[in-house]
Parts: sequence; C-alpha cells; structure tokens
Amino acid sequence: MNIVVLVKQIPDPAGPSELEDDYTLDRNCKLILDESDSYGVEIALQLRETSGGGEVTLVSMAPNKEVSGIRTALAMGAEKAILVTDDALSGADALTTAKVLAKAIERAGDYDLVIGATESTDGYVGTVPAAIAELLGLPSVTFAKKIEVQEGKIVVQRQTEAGYDLIEAPLPAMISVTAGVVEPRYPSFKGIMAAKKKPCDIIGVSDLGLDVSAGWGQEILSVEDAPARAAGEKIEDDGESYLKIVEFLENKKII
Amino acid sequence: MLREAVRDITTSFGPDYFREKARKGEKTNELWNALASQGYLGVNLPAAYGGGGCGIGELAIVCEELGAQGCPLLLLIVSPAICGTILARFGTDEQQEKWLPRLASGEDRMAFAITEPDAGSNSHHISTTATRDGDIYRLNGQKYYISGVDEAEAILVVARTGVDEKTGQGRLSLFVVDKETAGLTFELIPVEITAPEKQFTLFFDNAEVPADHLIGTEGDGLRQVFHGLNPERITGAALANGLGIYALEKGAQYAKERQVWGTPIGTHQGVAHPLAEAKIEIELARLMTQKAAWLYDNDQDAGEAANMAKYAAAEAGLKALNQAIQVHGGNGMASEYNLAHLWGMTRLLRIAPVSREMILNFVSRHSLDLPRSY
Ligand SMILES: Cc1cc2nc3c(=O)[nH]c(=O)nc-3n(C[C@H](O)[C@H](O)[C@H](O)COP(=O)(O)OP(=O)(O)OC[C@H]3O[C@@H](n4cnc5c(N)ncnc54)[C@H](O)[C@@H]3O)c2cc1C
Repeated sequence: MNIVVLVKQIPDPAGPSELEDDYTLDRNCKLILDESDSYGVEIALQLRETSGGGEVTLVSMAPNKEVSGIRTALAMGAEKAILVTDDALSGADALTTAKVLAKAIERAGDYDLVIGATESTDGYVGTVPAAIAELLGLPSVTFAKKIEVQEGKIVVQRQTEAGYDLIEAPLPAMISVTAGVVEPRYPSFKGIMAAKKKPCDIIGVSDLGLDVSAGWGQEILSVEDAPARAAGEKIEDDGESYLKIVEFLENKKII
Repeated sequence: MLREAVRDITTSFGPDYFREKARKGEKTNELWNALASQGYLGVNLPAAYGGGGCGIGELAIVCEELGAQGCPLLLLIVSPAICGTILARFGTDEQQEKWLPRLASGEDRMAFAITEPDAGSNSHHISTTATRDGDIYRLNGQKYYISGVDEAEAILVVARTGVDEKTGQGRLSLFVVDKETAGLTFELIPVEITAPEKQFTLFFDNAEVPADHLIGTEGDGLRQVFHGLNPERITGAALANGLGIYALEKGAQYAKERQVWGTPIGTHQGVAHPLAEAKIEIELARLMTQKAAWLYDNDQDAGEAANMAKYAAAEAGLKALNQAIQVHGGNGMASEYNLAHLWGMTRLLRIAPVSREMILNFVSRHSLDLPRSY
C-alpha cells in the first residue's frame, strides 16, 4: 500500500523562538520533525508493513531546503520525500499551505492514503488536512486513533470526547491522526545510514504549476503572550484529600 | 542525527535510572538493550557481521552522548571499541563469524584483560603466560581491574608466549578466553565508582584455552593490541567529554536559577568563569577527540592524537564536574541532583585506560623527542 505522510519541520519547541516582522514564526533556524507528525509516520510504516508492500512518501513544505526533519522520518523507514521550498511561501497561511501540499501530493504518484497530524506544534491551526482532502476530492477522516485497512476501504476509530466513532471510508482517503496514539519507533543506526541515500525531491512553487504572487487572504495584525497560568490550588493532606482530587477530575469531566 | 537518536533513547532512561541501578549493584541492561536493538552499540563493526559499517568516530559519538545524558556505559569502551576492533582486524574467519555479530548486536559482551598487579602501566612486563601444549594453550597468571567479567561471555586476554631474545621483552599474544574455561576464576574488587560495571581480579591456573582461540599470529600481540588501544583511548575521551557536557549543562542551569543575594549566582564571575573555562576545555578536548577518531578511521597514525585527546578530555571532564558540584553548593552532594555519584567514574578516566602520567611520558618521548626515563 502506498501512503503519503505530511511532515512539518518546525523550530525546536525546546529552543528559543522569534517572530518575524509580519508576526509569523522565524523559521530561518535548524528545523526538526514536528513530533505530532512522528505518529503519522509510525502509523504509515505499520500499515505498509502489514500490507506487505508499497512505499511511504513524505511531503513537506519548509524554507531553506531544510531536510533535517525529513531525514529523521526517512531514518524511521519512509522510502522517499518531496520537499517544497520557496522564498515566495514565507509566511504562507494554512489554505495556501494546503494548496501547495495538495499539488505536491499529486506528484507522489499513485497513493492509497494520505496521513497528516491533527495540528502542528508550532501553528495549531488544524485545518490543513481537511483543506487538502477538499482540494484533492478525498474523503476526510479526522482525529484518527486507530486505522485498519480492509478491501478497498479503511475503518477508523475517530476519537471523540466520549470515546470514539467508528468510521469507514473508501480509499484513497485523507486521515489526520491524534498525537500520542502510537509509540513512534526510534530510528535505527542502519536506518540513519540508509536515509542519507534515500531520494528527496526538492522543488519550488513553479514546479507545482502554482502562482502565489498574489499572496494570501490572511494577515496577522497583532500577537499577545498567552495568559500566564493561574496559580494552582494547594490542599493540605488530612487523609481525605483524595476526595478533592476526585471532585476536581469529575468537574473537569475527566472521570 | 546519530547523536539525536542516541540522546532520545538515553533520555527515556535518564540519570536517575542510571544512579539507582548502579547504587543497587544492578545492571543497566534495559538501556543497553534499547541501544543494542537499534544497532547503536556496534556502529564501528563491519556491516558484513551485522555492525553499522562505520568507524570509531561514530562510536565516540555514542559514548559521548551517553555521558552527556548522565548514563556513561563503560563497557562500550571495552567490548565494541577494543575487542571488536581487534577481532575485526586480526581475528580468524571463524572467530569473526562467532563473535562479531554477537558483539555488534550487543547480545554478548567481551571483557579485555591486560593490566596485572605487577605490570600496570608497563604492558611489556606482563607475566601471565600462555604455553602451547598440543591443541591447547595453558594460561597461568593473574589480571586485575578487569571490567565487566560478570556480564561478559568471554575475555580477550593479553599473555606472554615467549621472550624477544634481542630486547629481553615479552612476546605477547592475544586469546579469546571463554568465561567458563576450567582453571579460570575471578573475584570482585570493590571500588568507589557508581557504575553498573564491576571490576574483577582474574586467576589463571593452568587454564586450558583451545589453540584456535589465539588471535592472528603467535607473538604478534603487542602490535595487535595497539590497534585496540587507540579506539579505547578515543572512546574513553568521548565518555569523559560527555560527562563534562552533562556536568556543565547542569551547572549552568543551576547558576541561572539559584539566587542567594537577589541575583542568580551565575552573575558572579567567581561562579561563571570556572564554568566558562571548563566549557572551553571541553570543546578543545572534543576537537582533539574528533581529530584522533578521524585519523584512526582514515588509517593514519592516531597514537599521539588519541593520547592527547584522552588526557585533555579526562582533565576537562573532571574540571567541569568539579565546578558543577561547587556551583550547586550543598546540593552538589545530594543524590537527587545527580552529580556527585559521577565523581568516581570521571576521576577514573584520569587513571584508566591509560594514566595521565603515561600520556605525558608518551608526549615527552614521542612528540618532543625527549630522552626516555624508563
Ligand atoms: C575501574 C577500573 C577499570 C579498569 N578496567 C580495566 C580493564 O577492563 N582491563 C584492563 O586491562 N585494565 C583495566 N583497568 C586498569 C587500568 O588500565 C590501570 O589501573 C591503569 O592503566 C594504571 O595501571 P596501574 O593501576 O597498575 O598503575 P601503576 O602502573 O602502578 O601506576 C601507579 C601510578 O604511577 C604512575 N606511573 C607509573 N609509571 C610511571 C612512569 N613511568 N612515569 C610516571 N608515572 C608513572 C601512574 O601514572 C600512576 O599514577 C581498570 C582500572 C580501573 C580502576
């Protein structure tokens, strides 16, 4: 089975980050594989392994021909990659990103499934997978926590507040997976060495037949710090304080 | 990416895990196996035998990163670095087929025994003998401070098989001795090092070793062993550099946060400068370690660089740890700050695998062409 996985390469969330003048994130630094996407990569590798064949192709859009994060996913076991890198895309909004990725996916050849993360760790917009599905005319299944492939279709457990919905969709389809639903494998040393030789097709916007010179319909006017977290409540343990914890969790509808 | 992968695996265990296991006298097999299963313990061994097909440069990165995460694994310096290198270069086909895949996968470990009670730094002087008797060699003598014998399947033993008539020095040969060999016993040496690896004295009492366990040619042991000692020094240096990186990171972090006079203690140059000095020295030692690894992996004479790297790294690592402990004040001694327990290991690296004095002798003699003292 041939699977396309969208992988975003982002500034290391553990490091310091800067904003550009237009309030978008400064991405002119070393970028790494977004952890959110490592779950999609793992799921794709598992599906390919159970299906007994096919290829996992990575599709990424990043500045400065950045391939560090792509190499990580190739080292995990993906076969090849397509990277769209173009100064014209600096600060692109989610819809433009979806258009670019959709075109890049079309270059990946025949595919049965496209997998993305629910949202990226640096942007948290969360609309790209659904937009791509629309652009490619694919059924869109979001918040997947488990995916099973059957004859010509997929059966997906779609996470909900109460539990999960069971959804069937014909192939090919676009799926977004929830973070943390699988344990992404560590790349092996052989995987790292092999990744250096795997093909990564680096292209620009014009190679995709797109024109983004008109820009996009989004402008960020201001940015504010996230509100500081309110101080927590301290409870002295009098032997009964577990009841307070239970009450707290019940109020939050966690239990 | 190698570095990041090793870091990711190692941080999923972390310094608490390492300290607690070592304190209880237990092994850190979970960490060993996690690294082994992904091929990180045999990166320098030939790909044909399941290794990574790379060099000592890559193994040094693995060692450094383990140190940098507060999880130094001493046996990497012994099993893949010394024993793996020697077997890959001089072992017979059968020896390579038997051992290299098992060392590369990390499923087996091999200890290395050269040091003797009466011939420490002077390896020409070793008195453990191996005498040919038909299909076997009989080994007699004693070795001490041999790391990891309890967890190893076999020991690569340096023994004397004759005397060079011209120089009067022993002719050395190398043997792979199975741990279960009759006539071989071993005894624990308690040491003040918080590490999962233990140290042993080995007693050979007419230990019978099959003749095909001889590595390469009889009498060629000194040359062979030197091939293993450079990787040992380079990976030992890498481990010390890693420990220094670990200590500096913790020291700097603490100096940024701790306040006793209204400003972080790191604003006082008395705190900051020693950390900065240690940082410079660690980076210099890393550079020399990389140079030594590069020379070694490119089949050039790495002896001088490997010795210098080992010297510089041991000094820098120790200085960094010392200062990190100092910066922590009383907390520097607390178990939960995960520093003081690394003292023994870091201090060891100034003594072993080769002591700083022997390196200074080497540099005096070989780099500066000064007259020899012994
Ligand atoms: C924890 C630990 C693990 C070890 N693991 C192993 C192992 O796995 N396999 C193995 O074979 N060995 C191992 N060793 C042994 C180690 O390599 C030796 O301890 C080291 O080489 C020093 O030898 P020595 O102890 O005999 O000291 P000695 O040779 O007795 O030296 C004592 C002191 O005198 C100095 N000195 C000696 N000669 C000179 C000279 N000519 N000029 C100036 N100074 C000199 C030395 O530098 C040292 O400071 C280990 C040691 C320790 C402590």
